[in-house]
Amino acid sequence: MSTHTQPHARHRIGLAPLAVLALLLYAAFLIYPLVQSFITSLTNRNVLNATNAFIGFANFAELVHDERFLRSLGFTLVVVLFVTVVSNVFGLLFAMLLNGPARHYKIMRTLVFIPQVLSGVIVAFMWRSILTENGLLNSVLQGTGLTQQPISWLGTPELATLSICVVVSWMTIAFTTVVYTAALQSVPAELHEAARMDGAGPLNRFRNVTLPMIAPGTTISVTLTLITTLKLFDVIAVLTGGGPANSTKSVAFYLIDVAFTSNRFGYASAIAMVLLALTAVVAYGVTYLLRRREAHL
Amino acid sequence: MTSRRRIMTATVLALTTALGLSACSQGGGGSLTFMVFETPALDAKFWDTSIATAAKEAPSTTIKKIVSTDADRTKYAKQLQASGQFPDILASISPKDFTGAKLLKPFDQKWLDDNFLQPTANAIEGETYIPPTNSQIIPLVFYNKKIFADNGISVPTTWADFTAAITKLRAAGITPLELAGSEAWAASMPLVGLASADVLGKDPTWIQKLYKGGAKLSDPLFANAMQKAVNLVKMGAYNPAALSVDFKTANSNFLAGKSAMYPMGSWFTGSSYITAAQADNIGVFPWPTDDGSVVIPFNVGGTTSVSATSKNVDAAQKFAQAWSLAPANLKVLIETDGAFPMMKKLSIKDFGATVSSLYNSSYSYVTNSNTKVSSFGWVNNDDALAPGINDSFYALAQSVFSDSDVKTQLTKLDADWAAATKK
Repeated sequence: MSTHTQPHARHRIGLAPLAVLALLLYAAFLIYPLVQSFITSLTNRNVLNATNAFIGFANFAELVHDERFLRSLGFTLVVVLFVTVVSNVFGLLFAMLLNGPARHYKIMRTLVFIPQVLSGVIVAFMWRSILTENGLLNSVLQGTGLTQQPISWLGTPELATLSICVVVSWMTIAFTTVVYTAALQSVPAELHEAARMDGAGPLNRFRNVTLPMIAPGTTISVTLTLITTLKLFDVIAVLTGGGPANSTKSVAFYLIDVAFTSNRFGYASAIAMVLLALTAVVAYGVTYLLRRREAHL
Repeated sequence: MTSRRRIMTATVLALTTALGLSACSQGGGGSLTFMVFETPALDAKFWDTSIATAAKEAPSTTIKKIVSTDADRTKYAKQLQASGQFPDILASISPKDFTGAKLLKPFDQKWLDDNFLQPTANAIEGETYIPPTNSQIIPLVFYNKKIFADNGISVPTTWADFTAAITKLRAAGITPLELAGSEAWAASMPLVGLASADVLGKDPTWIQKLYKGGAKLSDPLFANAMQKAVNLVKMGAYNPAALSVDFKTANSNFLAGKSAMYPMGSWFTGSSYITAAQADNIGVFPWPTDDGSVVIPFNVGGTTSVSATSKNVDAAQKFAQAWSLAPANLKVLIETDGAFPMMKKLSIKDFGATVSSLYNSSYSYVTNSNTKVSSFGWVNNDDALAPGINDSFYALAQSVFSDSDVKTQLTKLDADWAAATKK
């Protein structure tokens, strides 16, 4: 008896230090900064002005009336909505087009994934060379006679917002394509065969077989796209710098400005707390709804 | 037991090593950090060479270069400060952002008096945190001589002449003014010219009044100047896609003759931006005023600030002083970045620098007797704007393209100012 239990006990003890280490790292690099940031959000801390007084929830109250914050929040939500819808629709479309066993499908899937591997900064630099006044896009449009004057893709609030949405979608489609490809490959071929024998057409098979079977993949893809886009910073920093006239500043971008340009660390921490709460609520809400949908399917 | 002893031994060894390393890093003149920034003119080679030159004057010190990852080096310095890594020496930051927290060590006034033409030009409340080694004019208006001659346009001296030239060029199908509008700091050049010439030209103490509450950004004096910026957009002075043009593209557009005039800082005269042959076809005039009086938006610059929290302030300051006085360093700045020297003991000829005809024309506005005012948003002295206001001002330069309601925008800027200066 004892000879059987000893290895199990050793095994359990052997894992405990690893778990403790993981918990310690989690506490040191996530919980502690989070608590510290929350405490800072309740102060008027300005490291360059030697102020650090407790002011309760005044920073959060100020946020409600901060026009720039509200504008950055509105911009962020527009980008999140656009990118989530577009990248998931096109990701699924590409995954279906590339869902084959032949070698060229595998090569194509690898190529489609490349934008996700590239850093956001590199992607943004690449797209900037396409979208500037004398960039590739304007050269093509003018060269083919479609436009007479260059279009200011990054110079008006509307077009700059659209440009950022397209660039971020281009990056995230790579990720969603991979997720949907994996989900599609887990759908048993027999189900499609049975539906076909029952007389179901392609659209019916997609609606009644494919979509329900890839529901877990949809949950993962939508949730991760939402979270990634809510904290968007790098693409904006390179592509528009938040301009023109602050019109493409995301919440994350505004947060950095408040902290390191205006020196208001307390207020910036309050923005960080709101962004964290927003991300948590949206992610939890979407996951909850999609999981419920999975159960119904 | 054995394994526990082994772990204990390893822990003690690790702690001893860490303590030893820590002691090494804090000892003597030792190692100092120098935050620099790289541009086409001031590349990695320039910084390495300039550091090596200055280090000869402070041989016991080793300098570790930190390159700012942000074009806004003041912002990057704040990030380093927030993470407990504030550099010992900092290149070309805005000192006013750091003096409130007493993070910078002022330079000795006698040393400043002995070495610089305008020893108090960078003074903040009587103390200087950045040696006044060189100067710039921000902006000047550069123009294409051939385009002006072909269209029968003479160099504008008044605002009316300037707008008439714009109208004539527009009618001839030429883009009158080049603008690097996608980079907010560059987009602000016309507004910097207007605020400096029209506001500070009439009242040089206006920024101090702003600090003391005796003036507002939405006041008619400032609002009328900004209205001129809106008017320039309305009259088609810029390329319709100007806000998609970056600095590099704007430079090449102007030098290729795609536009007739270019409001830009005097660094544009440096060899990093313009060749001697190109410079021969480019002329320069100051930002025009209503009555034609010459007002020069002037900025006395400099490079090295010293951290008051440095573990070896004296060594850091010695290095900073050596860097600032090294003629070889300033020679590179003159040639590549169009810097105008402000050294008491060295004239421009003493540097042996090779400069263009355009540099000489621009430099004459420094040496000639004329009205010099602070270049709005660019200076390092008491007239520097409150933290964060430069960005708001830059944003205004872009928003005038889509929002002509100057009064409302300046009222918001007043609110930003109030928040930024709130004690």
